[in-house]
Amino acid sequence: MSALFKSNPFRYSLNAVSVAGLYAVIMFLIETGVLNRYQALMLIPIGFNIILAVSLNLTAGFLGQLPLGHAGFMSVGGYAAALFSMSASLPTNVELPLALAVGWIVAAAFGLVIGLPALRLKGDYLAIITLGFGEIIRVIILNLKFTGGAYGLKGIGRQTTVTWVYICVVITLFIIGALIKSRHGRAIISIREDEIAAEASGIPTTYYKALAFTVSAGFAGVAGGLYAHYLSIMDPSSFGFMRSAEILVIVVLGGLGSIFGSVVSAIALTILPEALRGFSDYRMVIYSLLLVAVMIFKPSGLCGRYEFSLGDTIDGLCSRIRGALSGKGGGGDGGGS
Amino acid sequence: MAAVLDVSNLGINFGGLQALDDFNIQVRSREIVGLIGPNGAGKTTVFNLLTNVYHPSKGGISLTGRNTLGKATHEVTKYGIARTFQNIRLFKSLSVIDNVRIALHNSMTYSLLEACLRLPKYWRQEAAATKFSRELLGVFGMEAVADAPAGSLPYGAQRRLEIVRALATNPKVLLLDEPAAGMNPSETSELMGTIRGVRDKFEVAIILIEHDMSLVMGICERIIVLNYGLIIAQGEPDEIRNNPLVVEAYLGQQRGSSPCSR
Repeated sequence: MSALFKSNPFRYSLNAVSVAGLYAVIMFLIETGVLNRYQALMLIPIGFNIILAVSLNLTAGFLGQLPLGHAGFMSVGGYAAALFSMSASLPTNVELPLALAVGWIVAAAFGLVIGLPALRLKGDYLAIITLGFGEIIRVIILNLKFTGGAYGLKGIGRQTTVTWVYICVVITLFIIGALIKSRHGRAIISIREDEIAAEASGIPTTYYKALAFTVSAGFAGVAGGLYAHYLSIMDPSSFGFMRSAEILVIVVLGGLGSIFGSVVSAIALTILPEALRGFSDYRMVIYSLLLVAVMIFKPSGLCGRYEFSLGDTIDGLCSRIRGALSGKGGGGDGGGS
Repeated sequence: MAAVLDVSNLGINFGGLQALDDFNIQVRSREIVGLIGPNGAGKTTVFNLLTNVYHPSKGGISLTGRNTLGKATHEVTKYGIARTFQNIRLFKSLSVIDNVRIALHNSMTYSLLEACLRLPKYWRQEAAATKFSRELLGVFGMEAVADAPAGSLPYGAQRRLEIVRALATNPKVLLLDEPAAGMNPSETSELMGTIRGVRDKFEVAIILIEHDMSLVMGICERIIVLNYGLIIAQGEPDEIRNNPLVVEAYLGQQRGSSPCSR
């Protein structure tokens, strides 16, 4: 039985079923009105915050660098996707994925171009340089004609639906999750652990730094594309440093190096400010205090480096139940890949 | 037999300091060479030059007939040179087996796309790499701790894991930088056995830097003595022991007293 839970086909079908099941549950809750219209709309920002946090975690958590310009890549991807869908007139279900793909590619290209010189630096210096690049992107967008300048872009089709956000989140989680567990992902993590040792073990560190940076920027671009087609307006002032910092807070709170943590934290930190509306003026004070409390009591973030795996969890539960039945108790053995 | 490593006339200066000059060495396959000298003599500099962490200001390095000059460190590793570090540099928060699997990076060939889509080649090569890592750890008696974090291992085991990780890159030449540093005499003698075993089983040439004379004299077939960046003597352990230049530069202070490991 244990072998069954460890087999790949079983795990894939289990994950596919639960992904579809979760979607069905969400749609059911919306249709039956358990989630009201306002709550249903909250699902969309939760979705792109998950994408932003998970993609930033690739560089901040797994590569171990500290980029502060994630909002810059988000805006580049968002503008690219918006400009594409405004100039193309295709059916919605073709246009949006294409626009998001354009957003991915353009943001990734910016990530690569900015990443190559920036990644020669480390730590604080890299943080400052990416912060600078983020601001440069914002100021350039502010001054270009085809991006509408400070006026921004208006009349982007409102095409982002819960379904599309859900699909994008699943794709992001799958690709970044698969990447992390491959030889490429291990190479990225080895750079975080010890760059000199990684290089001596035959890892082309510059290549993998650029790769992590590029992929991370690409998914930020997808989030930007979803954002643009959700609000139907783009204006450069919403992609400043504060936005980058917000994403970083989500990642750090969830746990640097935990994709699962980023997801949990993105959900919590998107809902929290709304849930605290009852406290009116003290809302942000309580929000900040909660952040401080988490950092004091769990400095590695909510989830540390823990990764959730449905297969492992069920496997662990089963062996625990079996242990309890045979009267020995305890001993959940949930290892494996 | 042809030399696997042929270093000619190697030299480097940092600003005005000539850290190494006229360094020549030919290492044959399966040879164990000791590199000794007082602190600051340039021993680790030699390792950093051999692995292209530093680029020499003159001279050349040829590894199994291939010129490594101007290559990046990770490319030189692919050519067949691997090293351990004076201060242990493991991927501490990762598991023991992941430390080894990272070093197998270049022996796997599946692409980024195959990884992200989890195509069959990914599963095949990952399974093979995991199996190989476990076997390699087994050779060093470490299969039981394969899933423990590398940083949680006792000191001696961490040193051993560094050797395992270096071997995973399939080297022709293995560079050990003070492998016995911080070890007690029984650990050191165990290490001597390990080093000999590595040479015989993996058919590598080994160059080691060490201050522990019992280890150096015990297993090295040839010893090179550096002082102020110059080779002042080389030869078999007995010749070195009795060389007045060496005694004066280095061993003189240590003779009689029990060799200390630092």
